[in-house]
Amino acid sequence: MSRNAFAWYMQRITGALLVPLLIAHFWVEHFMSATLMRGDLTYDVILSRISNPWWQAIDISFLLIALYHGLNGLYGIILDFGKVGPRAATATLVLLFGVGVAWAIWGITAFHNL
Amino acid sequence: MNRRIFINRSSSGSKSRWQNYTLECSPELTVLDALFSIQQQQDPTIAFRCSCRVGMCGTCGMQINGVSRLACKTRLTELDGKDVFLAPLPHLSVIRDLVISLAPFFEQWRKVLPAMRSRDAESQELAIVPEDSAYAQHTDGKRDCITCGLCFSECGVLATNKHYLGPAAINKALLRVLDPRDTARAERLEILDSSQDGVWRCHTQMNCVAVCPKGIDLTESIGFFKRRLLLKNGELES
Amino acid sequence: MIPPRVLIKTYLSPLIGMTAYFMQRVTGLLLLFYLLLHVHTVHEISGGPLAFNHAMDAFKNPLFRLLEIGLLGIVILHALNGIRIMVIDFGVATRHQKRLFWGLAVVIGALIFIAGALPLFMHSVWER
Repeated sequence: MSRNAFAWYMQRITGALLVPLLIAHFWVEHFMSATLMRGDLTYDVILSRISNPWWQAIDISFLLIALYHGLNGLYGIILDFGKVGPRAATATLVLLFGVGVAWAIWGITAFHNL
Repeated sequence: MNRRIFINRSSSGSKSRWQNYTLECSPELTVLDALFSIQQQQDPTIAFRCSCRVGMCGTCGMQINGVSRLACKTRLTELDGKDVFLAPLPHLSVIRDLVISLAPFFEQWRKVLPAMRSRDAESQELAIVPEDSAYAQHTDGKRDCITCGLCFSECGVLATNKHYLGPAAINKALLRVLDPRDTARAERLEILDSSQDGVWRCHTQMNCVAVCPKGIDLTESIGFFKRRLLLKNGELES
Repeated sequence: MIPPRVLIKTYLSPLIGMTAYFMQRVTGLLLLFYLLLHVHTVHEISGGPLAFNHAMDAFKNPLFRLLEIGLLGIVILHALNGIRIMVIDFGVATRHQKRLFWGLAVVIGALIFIAGALPLFMHSVWER
């Protein structure tokens, strides 16, 4: 399949994956064991969860999938302006890829203090 | 009942302006009837195009109250509000008032190689496609395009990206690509797969489907190519 | 020049697909922006118990809670309309795209939104 077909397909795959990931994330953060409203969401609760490598893996996957979906979507918006020729389109792709990598590193290192 | 008809007037070199006319409207009057009445009795200088007057030729396309429609098929009673606003079809070149040139439309149309490239150009035999054939069934409801340009004008992608092929051209490509008599399939698929112009620019807004006077499911035609390019690398069974 | 009421009716009925497209794009960009804020926030709160508590106190502010409920709404709209787009892409229901929008994205979306937002809203905005 062409690169365009693959990107179109991946946008839908990542979108579909984000739905259960988001539901899980929202539920875990707001309703599961400890909540901000009940006053028992403390640093230790978060620390114990974040130190668990399984949660880290889920969170990092979540971030990478969301970044792909968001930046791919942004690329589509840019192409839709119809003002970028083939070379500018490739340059934009490289730029967005770079932004994505930097953002991913920034996100993954959020755990480094813990 | 009296209604005001606002017509967007312009000529080459001059800025467009709205000019209004008041018309006594009987219930069965179409926008085209109203235009004839205004032209004959009030202002002979307004310019508009029409031909068959019965929704077959696609010549009288214009923007009516913000939506691209055929003037001969739009009754004034269908239109909300007291005033009616007529403007030339967007995304096309305006010649004068409501008269446009379909040149941008056909420029995109030509990019998909709309003519059939037959296997044997010298053959004297009729290349018939039977009514019960797979081709006839797959293209049912897709063959009625009158190249009126309404889909082209209403497409939200074409509003910002003038390189996009547009629904009519892609639908035409579908008719050729599925045709068992044609041999230019690979070339067309390459054009349709292009980043900036091709089928991937369609975002299923479905404005085209909403305005097509022939009821062609254009988004489905475009979606067909997306699925084919994805799953079968463009391969199709003949 | 065209009366706003006429245009609104147009974009709510024959051209609802266009409205859905705008909404998908706008919510997508907003969510991308939110992701930026979110990664920044996680960096902040991971600086130790003090930084964490400081941030949590800021989040008890009703304004943050309202924004969070707004975020829930935006996520639901984007996700359900995204599902609708996938259904259309499968070629299953192009004829029903308007019904899919109002039924799926709006009605079901509203139900999920209320289910999610009500607990948040009731506990946080009224208590100090």
